Amino acid sequence: MATATDNESEGPLARWTQRAIQDPERVYRALFYVAMAFFLVTTLFPFYWLLVLAVTPSGRLLAGSFLPEVTLFGVSATFPLPVPKGFNPQAFITVFEQVPFHLYMLNSFALAVTTTVIVIVVASLAGYVFGRLRFPGRAFLMLGILAVSYFPPAAFVIPLFQAFAGNAPITLPFTDIPLFTPPRLLNTPGSMVLPFSALFMPLSIFILTTFYGQIPDGLEDAARVEGTTRLGALFRVIMPLSAPGVATAAVLTFIAVYNEYFFSSIMATSTEAARWSPIVGGILSYQTQYTTQYNLMAAASIVGVLPVVILVIVAQERIVSGLTSGALKE
Amino acid sequence: MSTETGRESRRSGLLVDAMRWMENLSDTQYAYLLLVPVFVLLGVVALYPLIRTFELSLFATSLDLTGRAFVGIDNYVQLFTGDKNRFLPGGTTFVPSSLSLTALLNSALVVTIIFAVVSVAFETVIGLGQALILDQDFTGRKWVRAAIIIPWAVPIVIQGMIFFLMFNSNVGFATPPLADLGLLAPTNTLNDTASATFIIIVADIWKTSAFMALLILAGLQSIDRGLYDVAKVAGASKWQQFKYITFPLILPTIGVAVLFRSVQAMRVYGIIDTVSSCAVIPSLSCMVVATFNTREGTAAAIAFVTAAIIGVAVMALIVWQGEDAI
Repeated sequence: MATATDNESEGPLARWTQRAIQDPERVYRALFYVAMAFFLVTTLFPFYWLLVLAVTPSGRLLAGSFLPEVTLFGVSATFPLPVPKGFNPQAFITVFEQVPFHLYMLNSFALAVTTTVIVIVVASLAGYVFGRLRFPGRAFLMLGILAVSYFPPAAFVIPLFQAFAGNAPITLPFTDIPLFTPPRLLNTPGSMVLPFSALFMPLSIFILTTFYGQIPDGLEDAARVEGTTRLGALFRVIMPLSAPGVATAAVLTFIAVYNEYFFSSIMATSTEAARWSPIVGGILSYQTQYTTQYNLMAAASIVGVLPVVILVIVAQERIVSGLTSGALKE
Repeated sequence: MSTETGRESRRSGLLVDAMRWMENLSDTQYAYLLLVPVFVLLGVVALYPLIRTFELSLFATSLDLTGRAFVGIDNYVQLFTGDKNRFLPGGTTFVPSSLSLTALLNSALVVTIIFAVVSVAFETVIGLGQALILDQDFTGRKWVRAAIIIPWAVPIVIQGMIFFLMFNSNVGFATPPLADLGLLAPTNTLNDTASATFIIIVADIWKTSAFMALLILAGLQSIDRGLYDVAKVAGASKWQQFKYITFPLILPTIGVAVLFRSVQAMRVYGIIDTVSSCAVIPSLSCMVVATFNTREGTAAAIAFVTAAIIGVAVMALIVWQGEDAI
């Protein structure tokens, strides 16, 4: 009787500890859930903060703190989570009126789709070669592509910017011999699609090499016996059979272009949507032109992030398999 | 029969010829033919600019912009002696002027390396934690995995905007509590080098840990599950299983992932440009962008030093991984 009362007076924590000592599995499960909750909160919290800012009416943005004082049982304390100061979803409409944000997103989409198509076609040819053919120089060439992909964009940007400005002819390196004068590409899709394609090509090559290499030779041989040409076998047999690999490379390239900052901000010299500035320009124009409309910045960020959030939820299997099979080799 | 062949050859004589020519190539010739587009693209957008950057770094632009003078490695020498610091934005330097924290963070070379080392260290630990969670079987695993991957897919400009809004002096709710702890400057936070560096490191950890987690997860899932059964029979605790089986087996994966991420982290630019400015956090890429319109030779020299540092890291990676690198 006495022991029973003791147990009760120790409360639930003590009882939990008691059981945990008998069964360590429980501790691991508890740790697991605590860690999972921690990671979920830390990854998702910034989006919650954007939402809080976006729905706060612009007039109240600067008044008072986002962390309200709460009085609980006579003790007043600061609530540890920011809460909106009022509710006004108008920002999600204003964001398209103030600056044509939909046009910036459309530009980003167009750039991402164009780059993805180029990358898939060119990387398919290379993936076929590296995955299915044995030839001298194979290892060396793959190493070369690997090395190029590691170099920082900053190492390419100066000559590319000068070339895309189209002011002076391209000269043979280390001489003054002019080769040709390139067209002016700044503020056009070309000045961004070209660097994007080169930058994100290696990852797709390595992903497609893995996938194309796994198709049994017999299938290709059968198609060839049927009279398909060599290229036909690649585009009509190998590629369709490796559809998951192609989808993986496409999704990763699309996300990479949509996320790109360096060339997007440099090659589009103006932040006008009409001059092919992608979402980088759209978001930055809120930061530089409407410097205190924080609710609009937050709303624009939420709108801009939605396409990739949807893509991640829909295509997460592809992203995981692509990053794990190709990324380390890039 | 004869009419059919005739029609076919008339329709696409050239294409058929090209196809027949392609059919008769040896494997090696065919391989190099298919690689032409990749060579052209990488040659035009990567190899030529790289060589040209090196070339530009050996010249000084004359002030009237009419010509250029060959100066050899002068640009590099002046970068490292500090003579070029006056062309860099704000009070930033290339190599640190002294060993105080402020001077170190004001140096392009040091702040880039500090950023890479600190953020990658945290990303590795957090990524390992996330990978261990995602390696378990539980209901809702797909949703948790999606939630953890999402930051990786967030555009850099939006990542920057999120942290700008979180620490901005007008609406940023996060600055006062962290300033009370002495981690951030209480006012003008985003223009204070130490505080801004802290913030962009946090931002990078938030975005990129998931990437690390996925790389480590691949290593975890390639471990033979039978090993754990043996360990359980032998009476090993969960911690012992991790210490003696999991960790040694994923160590090579972690090593490669760390080097790979460090190389990427050295490119940092966008997050600095959106959250703060290049005059406050002078990363190497920042310095190239800030100087290339007016001081071409200086910018090219900085760009080439960046490429060289990364080149050394990549050589280490390739030597370490050996044939597996391919």
